Amino acid sequence: MTVQPSGGGGALNRPDASGLADVIDTILDKGLVIDAYVRVALVGIELLTIDARVVIASVDTYLRFAEAVNRLDLTENQQKGLPDLVGDINQGAAKSRTKGALDAAGEKLGNLLDAAPEREDARRERRRTQ
Amino acid sequence: MSETAATGQAATQKHRTGYYIYAIAPADVATTAEARGVGDPPAGVEVIAHDDIAALVSEIPADHALGTPDDFAAHARLVDAAAQEVPILPLRFGAVLPDREAVTEELLAANHDEFADALQHLDGRAEFIVKGRYDEQAILREVLAENRTAEQLRAAIAGAPEDATRNERIQLGELMTQAVAAKREQDTAALVKALAPLGYDGVIREPTHERDAVYVAYLVDTDGRDRFRETVEDWAERQRGRIDVRLLGPVAAYDFVGTAQPGS
Repeated sequence: MTVQPSGGGGALNRPDASGLADVIDTILDKGLVIDAYVRVALVGIELLTIDARVVIASVDTYLRFAEAVNRLDLTENQQKGLPDLVGDINQGAAKSRTKGALDAAGEKLGNLLDAAPEREDARRERRRTQ
Repeated sequence: MSETAATGQAATQKHRTGYYIYAIAPADVATTAEARGVGDPPAGVEVIAHDDIAALVSEIPADHALGTPDDFAAHARLVDAAAQEVPILPLRFGAVLPDREAVTEELLAANHDEFADALQHLDGRAEFIVKGRYDEQAILREVLAENRTAEQLRAAIAGAPEDATRNERIQLGELMTQAVAAKREQDTAALVKALAPLGYDGVIREPTHERDAVYVAYLVDTDGRDRFRETVEDWAERQRGRIDVRLLGPVAAYDFVGTAQPGS
């Protein structure tokens, strides 16, 4: 994921190129749709990728949130002495975690997709036999 | 399948390839010889014109599934590059028609007036996407400070074995999820309000990550880009450390096109 701030270190990131996650959000969910019957060749993969992206509030999500809370270093709030240092470190850590999560999502999707053609073949086989 | 394909004599050939559609464009759209599309190896890209509109297409093997990251990137790259030059109606990934006649007749001829109007509307405009994600530490601290129950649950699980506090963890996580969703709604409304004076159409997108804060697409005039960027920058500055804001674009107007009914 290339995120390059431009315009002199402002708060706004303006990446030169969209990352895979951004591209997928856009081209699978948005854009002109032609009636479904002409899209059959690819529909299996499309559903698969969309499934991988939907935000579903599940027990797993809840436990992940709780663990994030549990990991919070709250000492920063009590010791006002070294806020800058701690703040910088925390921010850095949070940033890299965000990026890591995005990259991981991309990889996971990649794995799913690598496996997808077989499923597609299987679907087609079923269709033929019907 | 369509009646065209069922008519017979060349049926075997028709089953071997299909036409992948990237976008609708004015007929004078040009593609370079180097343009590469979806597939492995990447397919060449051609223009099929009808009257004053055209489709950007690749002839692809019909028995190969698409959907690798390279395919997604190729689709997006081609469409966005074309949109830098001419107004473009981008298609959602995955549209394939059986043959050239279908592209000309069922897609272009049958929808000509609608497409031509839409292209005219998009002329001189491009899409920008404002995407913001909560800083994990910042948003968790914010919720803990505002929500007494969340803070109590945090204290209950702190230092306790995971297995023994599973219920508290689930409760806390659910509470956090709800609190973040409420904040997402507030912050999205605030962003939309901050950009409202510029007068552009905005489309709020569904979140695709549990810490998504704002995700809104805007259709912006070429002349208004700088001011739009500045306004988003101001808003991002106010959210510094709390929301990581990114501005994507210019891209093709994916969020501002509808559904085409294929003719018969």
